Amino acid sequence: MLRVAIVALALSLGAGSASAQSMRAFTTFRQLHGETRLQADLDYRAGSLRVAPGRATELYRMDASYDEDRYLPTSDFNAARGAVSLGLQPAGEGGLRVVSRRQLRQDANVAFSPAVDLDLDITLGAVDADLELGGLSLSELTVQAGASQAVIRFSQPNRSRCRAAKITAGAAEVTMLGLGNSRCDRIDFEGGMGKVTLDFDGAWTSSSQAAVKMAVGELTLRLPRRVGVRLTLDRFLATFDPAGLVRGGNGFQSPGYDRAERRLDIEVTTAVGGVKIEWVDEK
Amino acid sequence: MMTMALLVALLAPSAALPTVAHAEPRSVPTGAAAVELVRNFWDLVASQQSDDRQARPRPQAIPAAPEGTPPVDLSDLSRPTEMESKLKTALAPKDGPIRVTVHGGSARLGDFIIGSAESPEGNLLVVQGDADVYGRLLGNLVTVDGDVIVHPGALVSGDILALGGDVRDMGGEIGGEIRALRSTTIFAPATSAVETVQPSGLATVGRRLAGVFGVFLTLAALGFGLVMFGRPNLEVVSDTVSHSFGRAFVTGLLGQILVIPTFGMLIVGLILSVAGILLLPFAVTVYVLLVVVGALGGFLAVAHAMGETYTRRRMAMGVVIGSPNSYRYLVVGLGALATLWLAWSVFGWVPVAGDLIRGAAFLVTWLLATAGFGAALLSRAGIRENFAGRLIPPEALTDEYLWATPQFGVPAARRPGGRTPTRGL
Repeated sequence: MLRVAIVALALSLGAGSASAQSMRAFTTFRQLHGETRLQADLDYRAGSLRVAPGRATELYRMDASYDEDRYLPTSDFNAARGAVSLGLQPAGEGGLRVVSRRQLRQDANVAFSPAVDLDLDITLGAVDADLELGGLSLSELTVQAGASQAVIRFSQPNRSRCRAAKITAGAAEVTMLGLGNSRCDRIDFEGGMGKVTLDFDGAWTSSSQAAVKMAVGELTLRLPRRVGVRLTLDRFLATFDPAGLVRGGNGFQSPGYDRAERRLDIEVTTAVGGVKIEWVDEK
Repeated sequence: MMTMALLVALLAPSAALPTVAHAEPRSVPTGAAAVELVRNFWDLVASQQSDDRQARPRPQAIPAAPEGTPPVDLSDLSRPTEMESKLKTALAPKDGPIRVTVHGGSARLGDFIIGSAESPEGNLLVVQGDADVYGRLLGNLVTVDGDVIVHPGALVSGDILALGGDVRDMGGEIGGEIRALRSTTIFAPATSAVETVQPSGLATVGRRLAGVFGVFLTLAALGFGLVMFGRPNLEVVSDTVSHSFGRAFVTGLLGQILVIPTFGMLIVGLILSVAGILLLPFAVTVYVLLVVVGALGGFLAVAHAMGETYTRRRMAMGVVIGSPNSYRYLVVGLGALATLWLAWSVFGWVPVAGDLIRGAAFLVTWLLATAGFGAALLSRAGIRENFAGRLIPPEALTDEYLWATPQFGVPAARRPGGRTPTRGL
């Protein structure tokens, strides 16, 4: 009986020491002092991430809650370059942490000023990301997503013209909504494995080009009817239903492509999986 | 008291608004008035919060550290956690009051206010107090266990870092970056440090024993299920281990090496065949399950073989054993396998011997698991008996044997120990 009591006591002591929490809250921001450009590197390795336009008076802001045993917050502004590095990077002990889901919930809210031209470079690890980039003045976008579930949305038109958006995804589920609002001249998407949805709805102000490369997975293209669409498809073992696109040249195009004021040229290269077309009607 | 103050705070705006409305009957409330109102409210809430905090030390300058103690450099605040570590060392309680030297600046204890007419130069450290800035601070500002409040018209030319506090920008100008770690361990009470210390030796032993007990209890439960529903297969794998241990080990080793390449080939093969891609999720699940079942079943079969050998030897020595069946074999075998791990649980804390025992336990477990996995592969999960030592060697099939041993019909079926051997290779 005494032995049982000793073991029970030891177990309770062990359990007590194992349940210690180590989440910390970190906030960083910088006031806007007349800057017109910002080059932002956001490196976020694990947890959930939200990006959205912030206050016009703040150049950037990040509110994060992180696991201090495994991650370190980064916030470094280089005034000479007009560049900031933000995020959570691995530090300390490596490997997996065996705790409950609630304890693992690192999260961060990042906001950028809509008043400056933003060159945004985002690197995501195992992240559940919701990136609202509409309403910013985005001049260039690069997203590298590892094993992520990412939604990149342009709910409002981009306030400036975007030269290019380049998205690279590993084994990820990526959804890009309102790409018509992005005002990007060129959109490149490169995916390894996963499910990808590219929604080209939005307020189109100019023609655009998109190149999509997928190894294995399902690609859904949501195309607005008011834009002339031409699709060039290079596929190996992928299914494709034109769904209203007609053959023209070396690919497929929407019926009114030649007469359309705004055009979208898409090159799709896919190995295994399927390419699905969905049409978005006028709202 | 706090509730009363909050009530007053809520009533005060409502009392103030009609006065404004009387003075300017046709004017609508301006944005500035609303901002001022919110500010007053938050000031009141903040003052209540500060009342609730631990009693702050009396505001005073922190004397310089003794000769030979390196000063704290607050010029680079880009690594908040590094700065926290530095300050933890510098502010660690020694004999007497806190003493610290700030390189090119000053340090204060308790709440500190920079008046609107003041313009101090250099980096400022405020410990266990809020920093209220109304004037101009030409340098960086760091607070430990306190907030930074930058009031309208104030200026902080450099960075701000709040460790264990917050930064409230009320409308002042901040030239650099603002960072805040809401909690800090710089002045953490001793109770929180207890959480990070290593568990005691007794707690470690208890946890390890519980872990070993749990694992082997689970294995026993799985083994009982296997005996109940797949006894013939378990016996064949067990016999294969007993009779062809070397062959089973080599097969298991090869199996371990080839398990991942085979998996890769399976995936690629299915992807390349158009119809096969539909089977991909099913095939992946089945393959993983087969490997797990093979490894686990093999390990249990090894335990069964060990228990059977031990029990039979004891019976041969004349010991009367109540129920020499597969359940008993499993329990005995798993008990034997658990012995090394139990030894590690108890003596694992001994500096060198603990590591040696753990290494030995791991090695023995791996050897036996490999042999078990190999036996499961050799016997095709207990379907083939070729290596189980149950086939009669050809040289034994003499005329006398065949004459004395019924091979067909009812007598053959009734022959004790009758078993239909499977085909050979």
